[in-house]
Amino acid sequence: MPPSRRGGNASTRRPNQSTLSFGTRSRITKPTATPTQSLKAKNPVERAVVPDVVTPEPAQPHIAEVVVREQAKEEVSQPLSAEDERALKVSQRDLQRYWKGEEAKRRTPRVHQQDLSLEEKILRHFDLSSQYGPCIGIARLKRWRRASMLNLDPPIEVLAVLLKAETDVNQRAHVDELMS
Amino acid sequence: MSTNDKDYGFLRPPSDEQYESVYREPSHYHPLHTFALPVGSERHYQQQYGDMYFLRLAKLKPAVEQVATEAWEGFNIAGEHARRVDRVLDVRQGDLCWVAGTVYMDLPLKPNILDDLTKEHFTSAPPPRRTYLDPSKPELTQVMLEDESGRLRLTGSLLSSTQLVTGAVVAVLGTENANGDFEVVDVKVPDLPSQPRRWNKTEDKKDGGKGKIAFVSGLGITGTSSDTLALELLTDYLLGYTSPSGDEDASKITRLIIAGNSLGSGATLEAATTAASAESAKKKNASKKYGYDASTYNSSPITQLDSFLSEILPSIPVTLMPGEHDPANVSLPQQGVHRAMFLKSRAYCSAPPSGDQQPEPGWFDSVTNPWEGEVEGLRMLGTSGQNVDDVLRYLDFAGEDGTSENNEDAEARIRVMEAMLRWRCLVPTAPDTIWCYPFQTNDPFVIQSCPHIFFTGNQPQFKTAVIEGDSPLRLDGPDASMAEADDSSIPRVRLLTIPKFSETGELILVDTDTLEVEVVRFAGFAGQEEKK
Repeated sequence: MPPSRRGGNASTRRPNQSTLSFGTRSRITKPTATPTQSLKAKNPVERAVVPDVVTPEPAQPHIAEVVVREQAKEEVSQPLSAEDERALKVSQRDLQRYWKGEEAKRRTPRVHQQDLSLEEKILRHFDLSSQYGPCIGIARLKRWRRASMLNLDPPIEVLAVLLKAETDVNQRAHVDELMS
Repeated sequence: MSTNDKDYGFLRPPSDEQYESVYREPSHYHPLHTFALPVGSERHYQQQYGDMYFLRLAKLKPAVEQVATEAWEGFNIAGEHARRVDRVLDVRQGDLCWVAGTVYMDLPLKPNILDDLTKEHFTSAPPPRRTYLDPSKPELTQVMLEDESGRLRLTGSLLSSTQLVTGAVVAVLGTENANGDFEVVDVKVPDLPSQPRRWNKTEDKKDGGKGKIAFVSGLGITGTSSDTLALELLTDYLLGYTSPSGDEDASKITRLIIAGNSLGSGATLEAATTAASAESAKKKNASKKYGYDASTYNSSPITQLDSFLSEILPSIPVTLMPGEHDPANVSLPQQGVHRAMFLKSRAYCSAPPSGDQQPEPGWFDSVTNPWEGEVEGLRMLGTSGQNVDDVLRYLDFAGEDGTSENNEDAEARIRVMEAMLRWRCLVPTAPDTIWCYPFQTNDPFVIQSCPHIFFTGNQPQFKTAVIEGDSPLRLDGPDASMAEADDSSIPRVRLLTIPKFSETGELILVDTDTLEVEVVRFAGFAGQEEKK
């Protein structure tokens, strides 16, 4: 789908940029098209480069973000099932043991994940497990529930992370934010 | 002229003979809302279609792998045993192995979104193609097997004789050759799902439920005077005015199912082309009576359909499915034509559900396309024809290029319907070449339980067949939850192609006990001069 335009404000249009800048704050687009105003309020990754050209924060987040947030809200408000009860009993040590097991399956340690919390690492690993389906456009909790409905046996530790830290865990996959 | 006491010829007083009133058999009706979409703002279109392919594969992969394991367990060619690989990209060169995935066909004439984007000016929409295959260059057609890991190109002589369509989930046995293509030795499909018993959804089964179900499709009402004759004949037949008494009584017909395309497509197009001139453009702005512009919108087709329905509804319950040319949404599953379109017939609809209640089936039921329901205890599943037409554009049956024989064409459609049941996928080409809703958690096009009657509307010719599943119901495996039958029963399905009423004038009657099919044909009498 083409990126949606938010409002016709001339002041929010960016002038032709003179310097290159990287990062999710400003996106390289064609000079004629306005950039998607897809800045997120919450973003855990810190940026080292401050862009010279500043895009002001838009009033509303990107529509895909809104949809995922609504999905997450609906999923969280569902009554607890048997799996949810089991998931709430999972302790922090179980999570660390699970994560050690997952890392032991790889030959080399993961790079560029130093400043991520254990929860976020577990969730990102779940996002990229393609046997549970695509992770883009769906809330993580909804994806877990869908995978368990299809009898694919997703790991219970991921559900534990999603249910425990509802407020500070991101329901939208990081890959989803990068791709949209 | 002699006048007897008893016999006055035509001139006689009214007789005192009491005739018995003939009542219609009651209809046991349980529609299933498999294809109903959430209403209003709960329906989202933000999701991607990749989820649909994932759902289809996740549901059908266990079934097809079970069939494949049974078939290829100890299989060996020249001493080499076949082994199973998990992902499509795990096949090794020279190794005999089998893998399950979704078929993807890359056809030269398939509508391509990238071509649409590169074109700068679009004057008018291109007409729908009859077939996506290019018969002059058969090597451009590529068949590939796909799953979450990647795609694998398939080759081999078996492909030309097997029917494969984008979206079918199959298991293939073979080996990878030097080019990196997978040479196919054998193909297995999930085959028919388990069939529920008759009267599965009805709690109380008081009487035997004898009766017939009537199917019609493609009424093609255009509001002009050309279609009144056949419709009047049909109305008279259904109301019992013209049918003879006895076994061919119309009172045995318990329900009429209209399978799509009740409105003809000609009416609005003519109005649009005549309005191309400049004067009518001025007229458009000038007169807008009754809230709509009468030069482009013609309400007589729907009014005539409404009066036809309101004539038969007092006597017979009707189930109406929308079709390609009906006022419903374009993408499958089409939701039912809204009751507001039928001013007279909506008195027979049930009350709209309030809140979260399940909608009750009314006497006049405007249902989705495709539709699944239980009538007289028989599970039926049917569409208005878009899925079969689309699948036919992928397949190339011998004798269909240019001069297609009528019989072969009908035979081809029945084979496509059988293939769809064996693939367990009702619309395999969605979302590739047919518009559909992006399902994210549940794909209703996967056929979970085998119907007793599988019908398709708007076909050029009537044809019917009975197919059977190969193996009896297995009590282990993923079908175990459906195992309500105590004994192992082989699923048997009656396939029906319902012809267009506007062209052939045929009404199909299916007997609910024996599943035998009758055809009733309505036509005007062709005089001697017309026959020449």
